[in-house]
Amino acid sequence: SLVIRGEKDEQAVLCSKDKTYDMKIADTSNMLLFIPGCKTPEQLNADQASCNIIHSQIAGFANNYWELRRCRPKLKKLRKLLMEDPYEGPDSRKDQTLTFSKYTTEDLLNLIQASEEEILHQLRVIDACKIEGRYWRILEFDYEMKLLNHVTQLIDSESWSLSKVPLRTCLEELGSLEPTEMIEHILVSYGRKHIDDAGEVYFEMHEDKICRAIAQMLLQNAVKFNLSEFQEVWQQSVPEGMTTRLDQLKGLALVDKSSRPETIFLLKVDDLPEDNQERFNSLFSIREKWTEVDITPYIQDLCAEKQTVGALLTKYARSSMQNGVKVYNSRRPIS
Amino acid sequence: EAASLTCSGGAGGLAQWVLVELQGEVEPRQSGGLAGSLLGDLHYTREGVPVLIVGHHILYGKVVQLEKPFAVLVKRGAGEPGPEPGPTGPHAHYTVTALIKTKLLFKTRPKPIITNVPKKV
Repeated sequence: SLVIRGEKDEQAVLCSKDKTYDMKIADTSNMLLFIPGCKTPEQLNADQASCNIIHSQIAGFANNYWELRRCRPKLKKLRKLLMEDPYEGPDSRKDQTLTFSKYTTEDLLNLIQASEEEILHQLRVIDACKIEGRYWRILEFDYEMKLLNHVTQLIDSESWSLSKVPLRTCLEELGSLEPTEMIEHILVSYGRKHIDDAGEVYFEMHEDKICRAIAQMLLQNAVKFNLSEFQEVWQQSVPEGMTTRLDQLKGLALVDKSSRPETIFLLKVDDLPEDNQERFNSLFSIREKWTEVDITPYIQDLCAEKQTVGALLTKYARSSMQNGVKVYNSRRPIS
Repeated sequence: EAASLTCSGGAGGLAQWVLVELQGEVEPRQSGGLAGSLLGDLHYTREGVPVLIVGHHILYGKVVQLEKPFAVLVKRGAGEPGPEPGPTGPHAHYTVTALIKTKLLFKTRPKPIITNVPKKV
């Protein structure tokens, strides 16, 4: 079955189980009559017997109809809703009883303009989890880092390989510090689950994702950093055996190569507008001219089903050459 | 808020309807609306060309297979009074009554049927 979703201030979308479509009313100056059971010439030819008059009723008429066009699911709201009340851990001094910002899957299906599968997929992507059974929650970043730190310290003290972190031992060693569901959640968020021949669960840790999270932790404390100083501190902050690389920070941070010394600052694609034109306006107000390499992580998610980044740039930006390099700027003046 | 659509096809699936597309408007001969009135006669020539006779006009059309088929929706259960506190599920309900994959498009100018041609004297 299909569902139309949207609040009063939103444009309606129609959702199947796994796809989302924009809905528009299309007007026609022609008159459309619907006739149930009306036969086409082929059907009449096939039915040679009836050469009588067939009385058919016109069921109705219209001069507009709804047109559907497949679109990106509107998922930015999902993160926004879950960020209303991020989970800060069991020791949090927040008064849990006062908050109504808790969302079940059913609530999210009513509020988010996307199909069920797209919503469930996005919940996995943003590492949401169900706490107390029913409610989807996102972890508050500091709490998430605290959990991650427990795990990486344990990996270090046990001298485990980063690709074979045993669940059972983690729960045993860390269970006294944090709820076991949270320990397992952080392993699931930052690693890939495997089961070995003995039936034991272990995790292969995502080096890139861990490095990226630690970078965010460092960068969020200041407006910008000296690039080389940042790279040094960053490498020292990640677990033993992991190597930091700037390309791990795509869509999270931006390097300013024009400043002396070069600097880096936090710029999260998740914080930028969802609408195409607004996204480009926002990007161009942060920086006047972008190379394709720099801008791609910040517009990749805008691409429709078969659209490329190049097509988006052609539509929303104007290109020029600067010092032998192709750069993109806004098509219109940005105030 | 959400409105849901379900298919109401009985055994064997959904009914197939046909769309007839006319340019301009259809007006009743007498005042009083279109409901219950006869529109006209639909014929097909031997070549399968649809021919519509409306009043004293004749229109020639063509059978078009729709690139994007239509679904006919009937709205039910709307108009429940008062807002519910918090999201509780669909209020309005649309049922898919039929599918339309074919249309008969009439876009040529209607020709008046002249049955009484004055004879030359």
